[in-house]
Amino acid sequence: MTTQELIEKTGLRPLSKFENRNVEGVYISDMVSDVMAGAKSGNLWLTVQTHKSIVPAANLVDVAAIIITGGKQVPVETVELASKYNIAILSSDLPTFQLVGKLYEFGIGAK
Amino acid sequence: MSDCQHQWDMANIQFGFVVFEKCFHCNCVRTYFTREGVGIIGDEYREDDHFWQRVENAQSFRFDLRCSGCGALEPFDDMMGLFYCTSCQPECRVEKLRKQLEAKRTYLVLACGFLREIAPIPGRISRRKLEELSRYFNQRRDTTRSRIEVAAFDLETGFAQCQGEFLHDVGMLSPEPVTDRKSPF
Repeated sequence: MTTQELIEKTGLRPLSKFENRNVEGVYISDMVSDVMAGAKSGNLWLTVQTHKSIVPAANLVDVAAIIITGGKQVPVETVELASKYNIAILSSDLPTFQLVGKLYEFGIGAK
Repeated sequence: MSDCQHQWDMANIQFGFVVFEKCFHCNCVRTYFTREGVGIIGDEYREDDHFWQRVENAQSFRFDLRCSGCGALEPFDDMMGLFYCTSCQPECRVEKLRKQLEAKRTYLVLACGFLREIAPIPGRISRRKLEELSRYFNQRRDTTRSRIEVAAFDLETGFAQCQGEFLHDVGMLSPEPVTDRKSPF
């Protein structure tokens, strides 16, 4: 599934400009150090962290998209930086647990 | 020298804190990594001629790289963290390098050694090690789309004017999300 297909199927709201990527697996963490140590290329990164440093961290490990859960507000500078890096920031009002269930139903499991 | 074209994995990963302490007597800053519980921000103590105050506890990690082929180990315990340029000064040579690389879809990340009280600029990680670290990140991505280059942080002015940011977490215990980081320098 690609990022664009994911958006269409799940109703996630794209906040940034992004490169359409194949999505492979999910990584859940609110710590950039944990993401840098454990996330994989193509992962969807689910987090409630919205500080702009999530963008270069996501880029470093080449995640396909960052999903901000729980309806958290994303600062403009985070979105702008993500657009510059062409990394999708998607927003969901669902809590992380519920969103994971939904993604799993679509066949996006942990890699 | 080994002929192995190393395939790197992260090894010996340890999560902990990078602690920033500032001497309110001479204004120098030092940093260190610890896995133990950290004191609160504002803690003060005297050590020789320095009066240290803890100004930041950043959640971070440290690691080595191990080759899955030959088993070679490349330690990175001298690396405080990775740092990214925020384009704060258009004439800064790091910003110029960042732009040059980004034009080729290569993203710049800077590696910093620890700060010691004897010098205002961070320790320098060797170019050879940073090439291996870049290789590690590039082995995990489709490099026809984009690449990572890890370079040494080597600004002569240190962090005095630089407003770049570390890839670590601060304020994790704050009831509100941290949207603006206060520089520990």
